[in-house]
Amino acid sequence: MAQTDTRKKDDVLFVGIDLGTSRSSISAGNGKREWIESFVGWPKDFIALQVVGKPVLFGSEALQNRLSLDICRPLEHGVIKEGISRNDEAVKEIIRHLIELAGPASGQKIHAVVGVPADTLKVNKLAIRKAVTEFVHSLMVVTEPFAVAYGMNLLNNSMVIDIGAGTADFCIMHGSIPSEEDQKTVLTAGDYIDEQLFSYLSEKYPNSKFNKNMVRQFKEQYSFVRDTPDEIRVEIPVDGKPVMHDIKNEIRRACESILPALAETTAEMIARFDPEFQVKIKNNIVLAGGGSLIRGLREHLQDALKEYGPCKVSCVEDPLFAGSDGALKLAQDMPSKYWEPL
Amino acid sequence: MISAFFRKKELKVRQEILKGIYEENLRIIGKKKGALLRQRTFSPNRLLLILCIAAIVVLAGGNYLDAPLLAEKQTAGGTVMRPLPSSAELPNPSDFKAFITNADVSVSRTFGLGVKTIMIDAGHGGVDSGTRGKMGTAEKDIALDIAKRLKSRLDKYGRFHVVMTRSEDVTLPLNKRVELAREAKADLFVSIHLNYLPSKPINIIETYYFGPSADSKTQELAEQENAGSQYGLGEFKEIIEKLGQKLKLQESRELAYSIQKNLFVNMEKENGNAYNFGVKRAPFVVLLGAEVPAVLAEVSCLSNRQEEKQLNTEAHRENIAHDLEAGILDYINKGEAGYGADRYAEKR
Repeated sequence: MAQTDTRKKDDVLFVGIDLGTSRSSISAGNGKREWIESFVGWPKDFIALQVVGKPVLFGSEALQNRLSLDICRPLEHGVIKEGISRNDEAVKEIIRHLIELAGPASGQKIHAVVGVPADTLKVNKLAIRKAVTEFVHSLMVVTEPFAVAYGMNLLNNSMVIDIGAGTADFCIMHGSIPSEEDQKTVLTAGDYIDEQLFSYLSEKYPNSKFNKNMVRQFKEQYSFVRDTPDEIRVEIPVDGKPVMHDIKNEIRRACESILPALAETTAEMIARFDPEFQVKIKNNIVLAGGGSLIRGLREHLQDALKEYGPCKVSCVEDPLFAGSDGALKLAQDMPSKYWEPL
Repeated sequence: MISAFFRKKELKVRQEILKGIYEENLRIIGKKKGALLRQRTFSPNRLLLILCIAAIVVLAGGNYLDAPLLAEKQTAGGTVMRPLPSSAELPNPSDFKAFITNADVSVSRTFGLGVKTIMIDAGHGGVDSGTRGKMGTAEKDIALDIAKRLKSRLDKYGRFHVVMTRSEDVTLPLNKRVELAREAKADLFVSIHLNYLPSKPINIIETYYFGPSADSKTQELAEQENAGSQYGLGEFKEIIEKLGQKLKLQESRELAYSIQKNLFVNMEKENGNAYNFGVKRAPFVVLLGAEVPAVLAEVSCLSNRQEEKQLNTEAHRENIAHDLEAGILDYINKGEAGYGADRYAEKR
């Protein structure tokens, strides 16, 4: 077994890619793990090109220079729109960039497994296939929560909830490949919290100047549900002067806005499952994705499901790479006969 | 010992799953299981057999076979993803003779008014994103994309000057759109929109032309679509009354029927939930302002999940553009046929 593995490693590089709305990550068989924010920016004109000095920018670099760029966030709401507003082009650039970051040796074949949101699988699969054909030799597309589950060895009687930016994906694993009924996507996730937080803050501080990007950063730094002893104060300019603002209540309200849908969908999916295995699944719920970093979310979900009997909810250790690591594991485990050239 | 047993079992589960993924991926790209392997072992005998069958079919000229597949292959050249509907469903636009005998010749055609400039209006845009599907697909994006496709399709004929109200994602008030149509001296005005019916899982296709509406639902829709105009209510009423029974109405209705027919016939094939809501009159501002035949087509329905998924694929949008193209051409060619016939009568 070990022998065949080393032989494989020489001429083929396996990569797992998690294509997220907010962040995309790659884990490669050569041990490299990288992530970028899923923003792509092209210089608006030739002056902008002079300023930024590159034909295309990614992630935080693109955000910093966003005033001179056409910014695209291609996976908004978790679906790739083919041929509209450069979305597919942006996906292509992201994948190209990620694979460059993984640094394949020259002449190495690339076999990739790409994770996408669960509900929009079919549309995305075709679009991704089109986007990546130039860069990889063989490809499989799977749903994000499934990739997480596979990576964590949660193949049987478990449930993965991947709370991303555009979508929250639910997936029940029962020892075989999850069917459509075992998977569900809701649109109330990270971006929804951003929108809520933005409107709450605009309401409370009408004179303060802030933008969506700042709001997102506040959320990423301070998000919590239920209660936290810390004070949350951020600096926002008012008439050009930096002023400290208390945003604790707004953060809580915004973060809690996704809870009802989350708890309801979880309960509904478990209730729909074979009654004999419901208890097992309830004791094996795993939160993944950036949303799992919200403080208190795990406890809240556990309490919310209490009325359905005891349950245990845990969080993945490394939400940023859980998806891509799982995809990589899947790629490495896949028998070589299944890898077909594109 | 026991742990070894469990590991073995787990390995088996794993293998099952891997196989499942492989098969699912194949299914999505439309290949059958093991299609690749079969290709390699394709026997010459089989090839010969298939060639023979193909030869028979070609020799028979498809006359004995009422096979729609064959008709598709023959017409599906170039970028046309779906064949033009067969002649039974739809008159062939290039077949002028069929229309020379057509007595239904409208007033404008009697005057020989040809169509040179076509204005395509992609609904909404900019801050006004129109309706939005459950997966977040915005009406403005889809409408613009279909509009662009329609333009490039019509441009290919070379005999039309095709103009768009907006070619980017920009906010454009309705009266500005009308102004653009006037400035461009458009002969036809086609506005592309998408429906949204939250309560029903169906796909409704309908086409509107301007006129007072008796239906309260349509009135509601008109209010929605008119939200971007800057006309006062009084002004608006006045314009409606002034317009009265203009020629335009009749022409717009013809155009609307032509587009609706083409859209529905084709959409029905793809989405079993497609419903024909037919041609309707409605007081949409965009339709009113344009002084030429003007229609507003609700080409698809974003609230339908299946439809939304399809709208995210290029092929489906191209198909809709194709249907609109066929509808417009139908209308124009009808006119020219009538025009030709009248000229002929004059000479005599």
